[in-house]
Amino acid sequence: MTKGVQIAVGATAIAALLGWYGATNLDSTPAFTYYKSLEEFQANAGARSGARSRVHGYVAAKSIHRDIEAMQVHFEVQNTPPHAGGASGSPLVVVLASLETPDLFKDGAEVVVEGHLVTSSGGTIFEADKVLAKCPSKFEAKPPGLAES
Amino acid sequence: MIDIGGFSLRFALVLALLGFGSAIYAGVQRKPEWTRVAERSVWLVFTFVSIAMIALFYAFATFDFQNFYVASHSARSMDLQYRLAALWGGQAGSLLLWLWILLAYSVASVWFNRTQNRTLMPWVVAVLLANAIFFLVLVAFVTEPFQLLQPGDILSDGTGLNPLLQHPVMMIHPLMLYTGLVGFAVPFAFAFAALVTGELGTNWFRTTRRWTLFPWLFLSIGIMLGGRWAYEVLGWGGYWAWDPVENASFMPWLPATAFLHSVMIQEKRNMLKTWNLLLIGLTYTLCLFGTFLTRSGIVQSVHAFAQSPIFTSVFLGYTLFSAAIFFSAVAIRRKEIRSPNRIESVISREAGFLLNNWVFISLLVWIFTGTLFPVAAEIVQGEQISVGPGFFPIMAGPLALFLLFLTGVGPLIAWRRASLSSVTKQFSKPAVVGLITSLASWYGLGDRAVYYPIICWGLGGFVIATIVQEYALAIRARVRKGEENVFQAFRALLRKNQQRYGGYIVHFGAVLIIVGMAGSVFDEERLENIRTGDQFEIGGYRLEYLTATAIPMQHYGGAVARLALYRGDKPLGVMTPEKRMYWLEDQPASIPAVYSTLREDLYITLTAIEKDGSATFKIYRNPMVNWIWIGGCVFVIGSLAVMWPHPDRSRESKAT
Repeated sequence: MTKGVQIAVGATAIAALLGWYGATNLDSTPAFTYYKSLEEFQANAGARSGARSRVHGYVAAKSIHRDIEAMQVHFEVQNTPPHAGGASGSPLVVVLASLETPDLFKDGAEVVVEGHLVTSSGGTIFEADKVLAKCPSKFEAKPPGLAES
Repeated sequence: MIDIGGFSLRFALVLALLGFGSAIYAGVQRKPEWTRVAERSVWLVFTFVSIAMIALFYAFATFDFQNFYVASHSARSMDLQYRLAALWGGQAGSLLLWLWILLAYSVASVWFNRTQNRTLMPWVVAVLLANAIFFLVLVAFVTEPFQLLQPGDILSDGTGLNPLLQHPVMMIHPLMLYTGLVGFAVPFAFAFAALVTGELGTNWFRTTRRWTLFPWLFLSIGIMLGGRWAYEVLGWGGYWAWDPVENASFMPWLPATAFLHSVMIQEKRNMLKTWNLLLIGLTYTLCLFGTFLTRSGIVQSVHAFAQSPIFTSVFLGYTLFSAAIFFSAVAIRRKEIRSPNRIESVISREAGFLLNNWVFISLLVWIFTGTLFPVAAEIVQGEQISVGPGFFPIMAGPLALFLLFLTGVGPLIAWRRASLSSVTKQFSKPAVVGLITSLASWYGLGDRAVYYPIICWGLGGFVIATIVQEYALAIRARVRKGEENVFQAFRALLRKNQQRYGGYIVHFGAVLIIVGMAGSVFDEERLENIRTGDQFEIGGYRLEYLTATAIPMQHYGGAVARLALYRGDKPLGVMTPEKRMYWLEDQPASIPAVYSTLREDLYITLTAIEKDGSATFKIYRNPMVNWIWIGGCVFVIGSLAVMWPHPDRSRESKAT
């Protein structure tokens, strides 16, 4: 075998090995998850039941209840911030399977819940194993009356 | 009040445009006097941007809340150092900081090349000023730091800065990162100048080697500081989440590191020249792309910076434009770049370094794909898909092992073609050490044994053994000559061949970092809800929850819990995790309590004081994590050893 062929064979073998390794491991970890706003999610609720999803919304006012005994947090997610008013549709009932919530988690917080929808006789609940809260952005829109410079 | 800052920036933009024109004219027409004009304009632009920086610092220092940027990023309750650091706490100010650092590098490169590289300098200045013009346009017209509020809208206090940023590490992390990212503009400019002028010999990168090492070191420090800050302040027990913003800073580091190694092959054997040009072009493009990614918010990230569509398209457009010009120049010159020499054997140093390049690029491609996948998926499928952190270690893990292997083999293996006898002679002892380390790890882990740390720690042992072997052989040879003792020999090695022996120290640090990271396979975490007086055990530690009290009132409040820590019966101390609430910003923060040993960290956060009076704690046990920070320090020390300008050395180079 010439040197060039040697290198080509070796490189292909290594690339194939890495490719196979990557492909088999991608299945076993939840690497890819659909990300939806609450409206989109509820529009497709039937199709999404059971599939792992991330849903974006806002914590409904006064909906947070920490259940110490069961080590769970119950809350509701709506599609607009509570202080902005005008939330449409029914809120998503979420049960977080842990007492661990991020620092920024409170009424009105912008959140992303990760888990799956469960339909039972009691209704549909989103069983979340993770909640992420967004850092409040510092780059808000210009306040009125900004001087022209 | 005259808007000194805004005026300075606009004037600097005019000067930069004139300078850019002079530089192009000087380069095309080969007129050295016009090169001087262009270089002088660099000094002038730097002066006016500095005036703008000082004006903004002054506004922060004097609570000038008529300035919208100052008002939205500081408050009267903040100490002076945090108010000054708040300058880079937001979009406009951090862009101004980027611009200033760029001009500082430009002035330095003009100064240090005033008597050399004269044919390259017009093009170097052109590239640097082109970048300066872009950032000047941004801060003068798109995101301005000097916008003033109408007198009626000025408030008596600002809205404050995100409390997570009010931390010493966060003060300097952006400075380190920018000194790194921006600095790659200089070797990029020199590479482009070499392509345009056709002077593609070894000169351009030899004179820019320190210009590449310096930003590379600062980028490395910036990345490590970011991880350290996340660990200390964010309270989730980890230091790296593969968040798009984190990846944005790491991606340029990969081709930069590959470049630093690959140029050694170009220097010794005039090979891999195309690779080197492509690597430096890729590095700087990723620096621009990375900052675009962070600021545009096109990928969902917990570090969200919201942004306007204008900004996004302008920035992306410029990044692609800059890349297109550079890579076209490489394509145009491809015949002149091609090396006369070929790799002779797969078992050789040249082959090892080529493989090194490929491993770094593979890792880059994997991370880039994972980071940008959500954007691609949205364009193609219309669905938004998130890529979780579990994606990245799939390849990063094995590739890190590959890199460890190359770190041991590369510096020792012979040039051109290594014979079996030379390989055996050089590697048999380190291989034995590596094997023993693997077996010891396997035995030590017992029934918790998993393949990854066993291989990783074995390779770590192998690499450290090669470094020790190299130092031992060289020191022994010098000491045998009779004039030096061991310490003098050690110092002489670092002075006479700083690239090699300093590089070994850097490698040693890198090995410690990877070895420490491998410990995360055994991370343990737990959530406990307990009442005062309760105890619980984790990993051989015993914790007793003593009390929770309110934090004394200051610009933040909240609760601090006290837990007594024991190992068996031995008291180790009291851990005090805090849950703070920053009043002005209405933002909570979890400050963890950490008990650190060489073996592991015990890391506790106070999740909540519940309504029924119990407390919920999150406890993490992170084995080997402190080796990462120790390795980081060794890494930095080694890099300084490589870069250090020894007086006798510069005398030597001036003579030749």
